[in-house]
Amino acid sequence: MKYINTAKQIIAILLVCLVVGVVIISEHSWPEGARDYLFAHAFEDTGATNTVSAIYLGYRAMDTLGETLVLLVAITGTMAILVNLGKDTIEEEAVHFCLPPEKRAKNALRTHLLEVVSSKLGPIVLLFGFYVMLYGHISPGGGFQGGVIVASSIVFLALGTETKSKLTNTVVLSRIEAIAFLALVLASISGVFFETGFFGNPIKPETDLSANFIILLNIIIGLKVGTSIATMCIAMMGGRHDL
Amino acid sequence: MIFERILIFALFIAGFAAIVGIKNIIKKVFGLNLINAATVLLFILEGSRIGDQAPILADSVESMVDPVPQALMLTAIVIGVCVTALSLALAVRLYKATGSLDIEVITKRLQGEH
Repeated sequence: MKYINTAKQIIAILLVCLVVGVVIISEHSWPEGARDYLFAHAFEDTGATNTVSAIYLGYRAMDTLGETLVLLVAITGTMAILVNLGKDTIEEEAVHFCLPPEKRAKNALRTHLLEVVSSKLGPIVLLFGFYVMLYGHISPGGGFQGGVIVASSIVFLALGTETKSKLTNTVVLSRIEAIAFLALVLASISGVFFETGFFGNPIKPETDLSANFIILLNIIIGLKVGTSIATMCIAMMGGRHDL
Repeated sequence: MIFERILIFALFIAGFAAIVGIKNIIKKVFGLNLINAATVLLFILEGSRIGDQAPILADSVESMVDPVPQALMLTAIVIGVCVTALSLALAVRLYKATGSLDIEVITKRLQGEH
């Protein structure tokens, strides 16, 4: 029985090698049409210098809406699975980092290094996350990247700060997430009133202000992604006492 | 050129082998992550084949890389995070229900209950 299982696994790996190997040995050259079009027109069409931002917030913004929906569903599912586990063993187990300050001393995994580094690093990383989020249209970055950096800074603050902060409260974070998603939906239909269609830029593309729509979407998506991933991480660390 | 592709191929196969071959479900989730990373690397590598500058428009930019696969992989990374979180939460749930992370022990104990 054991050998049959091993043989099945080897056959499965060989079949996947066959499928993926075709991609690996392909000699087809990468098409340049999309690159050339974006190089010539991206700034006039969307107002963003960063062409990656121009794609996912300008040309294909509805994909971004779908992506945030997927994120929302995943967070909802994760929280539903975790919350129903029961709260009895949460605070006693040594594996949970995110304890209330008075119980931290007993936790074997909390070292001085963690205490010192995480609380000091948190605000700096938070500032850097907002920088990446706000300047996503002219430099590398954007809403998703900045949001993940903001989430990691919130995790740092949850691990390090002595006092209970509003920023690491999952109820507050969930509310910010919900408001950001509502703002994203409202921003998506704002173009309808200015005759540019669903997710169209409501500001005229010729003016210098047309990048502001991209900045707005970057801020909304950054808040959404940052708060939802931070909520999930804090819930996984056992800090969901407020739920 | 073909060398990078072979490395990415090895990464993908390592992830798939972890999913089908290892019994610990946490390590299966690691395998999913490896497959995700291999896909992202392949797209970024192929998109950078036609240029060598970052896809940010400026006066000095002449041959930038293709921004389309980068925008696609932005989505793939976020979905990868979602999949990882959801599967880890399911792993915690299974551990609480059966007391084991070994997939065969979990199957046996769940069948024993019915």
